[in-house]
Amino acid sequence: MKTYKDLPADGGSNIIGQVTQQVNRLQQRLASVRHIVAIMSGKGGVGKSSVTANLASALGLRGHSVGVIDADINGPSIAKMMGVRGQRIDYGDDGVKPALSPLGVKVMSMDLFLKDDETPVLWEAQTQKDAFTWRGTMEMSALREFLSDTEWGSLDYLLIDLPPGTDRLPNLVDLLPNLGGTVVVTIPSGVSQLVVKKSLTMAKKLLNAPVIGVVENMAAYVCADCGKTEDLFPSGHTEEMARQFDVSLLGKIPFDPRISIASDEGSVFVDQHRDTPAGRTLIALAEKIEAFFNHEV
Amino acid sequence: MKFLCLECNTAMEFKETATPDQGSLTAIFECPDCFAEFAMHMNPWETQMLKSLDVQLGGKSEAAQPMQMVRSFLNQQNPDNLTAEAPTVSTEGGGKCPFTSVVAEAFQEPVEATGPVWTPEALARLERVPSFVRSMAKTGIEEFARENGHTEITAEVMDTARGNFGM
Repeated sequence: MKTYKDLPADGGSNIIGQVTQQVNRLQQRLASVRHIVAIMSGKGGVGKSSVTANLASALGLRGHSVGVIDADINGPSIAKMMGVRGQRIDYGDDGVKPALSPLGVKVMSMDLFLKDDETPVLWEAQTQKDAFTWRGTMEMSALREFLSDTEWGSLDYLLIDLPPGTDRLPNLVDLLPNLGGTVVVTIPSGVSQLVVKKSLTMAKKLLNAPVIGVVENMAAYVCADCGKTEDLFPSGHTEEMARQFDVSLLGKIPFDPRISIASDEGSVFVDQHRDTPAGRTLIALAEKIEAFFNHEV
Repeated sequence: MKFLCLECNTAMEFKETATPDQGSLTAIFECPDCFAEFAMHMNPWETQMLKSLDVQLGGKSEAAQPMQMVRSFLNQQNPDNLTAEAPTVSTEGGGKCPFTSVVAEAFQEPVEATGPVWTPEALARLERVPSFVRSMAKTGIEEFARENGHTEITAEVMDTARGNFGM
C-alpha cells in the first residue's frame, strides 16, 4: 500500500499551494513598505495603542508616510484614537482603501467593519461552542487580510499594534518574515514588568527581528501648575529590565491626562501638545526609531 | 490529507463539495482508476477550521475579492463599508488571491455576494432572527433578492421573501 509520501498531491486541493499563494500575496503587498515595526507589551492596559497612535503621528509629522494596523482584532481602539472611526472604507483598484487620519496616517482596523459601539467581533459559525478550536486561526486570517488586502501604497513605516499577550508572536513570525523590529511598551510597576519580561524573552527567542527598545509609559506625573515631576510608580525597574535584556530604553513618557482626552476625542496628542514633556518624549521616540533604521544607533 | 483507493492503490482525487448541512461540510473524492467515490463528512468544528484557514477544497480559484474572509464571516458589519461590487484583486506574482477561499465554492456563497445591499432597518430585523438560522435566512433572502432583481434588501423585500418561502 502506498504511503502518504508516495502520493504526489492531496487530490487536487493543493492546500500547500494555496497557503504559498497567501504568503506570496502578502509579500507582494508589503514589498513597498520600508520598515515594519510591531508595538507589543504582553501586558494589557499599559498604553500600547496610545503609544502606537502617537508614534505613528509623530513619524507622520516628521515627513514620513505611515500606516497603522490594529492587530487587536477583538478590542480595536486605534481607529478611535486616530480619529478615523466611522470613516467609510471602500474598494480601490487593488484592494481596500485604508482610513486616513487627519495627519495622513493610513489606518486599518476591525473597528471599521463593526456595526456599532456595542458590537463585538463574532464570527458566523454553526455553533460558538468550542470556538477555541478555530477562533484564533480566524483572527490571524483576518489580520493577514488587513495586511494583504489594504492598499498601503508606498510606506516608510507600517506600525502593528499587537494585542496583549505573547501568544500572537509566533503567528507574527509566519506572517511577517520581514519584520523590521519590535518596540516593547511597559509601565514602571513590577507587576507589569513581570509580564513584559516574558514578552521580551519570547520576542528575542522567536522573532527574526531585533527588539528596537523599551518604552516606559506613564513614567511620572508632571504638575500642570508648577511643572514638578512626581513618580506614579516606584521607578528604576524599567532601566533594570532593559539592562537585563540588553535592549535600549527608548524613552519614558510622563503621564498626561490630555493623552487620554485626545484619544477619546480622536485628536492626536502629539500633534496638539508637541511642546509638553510627553509630546517631546514622543517626538524623540520617533527620532530614535528613525535613527535605528538609519543605523545611527 | 491524502486519500488512497485501497483497491487500486491509487491516489483519490477531489471531485466536489456538498452544501454544509447543519455546519457539516461534505467533500467527495473519486478514484481515477475504478471511479469509486467516497464522501468525507467534516464535523462543524472541522468545517469551521477549514473556513478559518481560508483555503479552498478542490483548489479551484475564483476572481479575488479583498477582505473576503472578514466580510463573509463577520457576524454584524458596518452596512456603509464595502457594499459596492469589489474589483478583482491582481493575482500577478502571487497567483489567485486566497481570500476567495471556501466561500464561493464549498459554502455556495457566490463571490458576487457583495450585493444586494441591506438597509439598516432590514439588518435590524435580520438580527432578530435566532442566531442558529440567521446565516441561512440571510443567504436565502439575498438569493431571493438577486433572483428578483432587487439591488437593496428592505423590510418589504424581506416580507416578500418570507411569503415566497411559505413562512
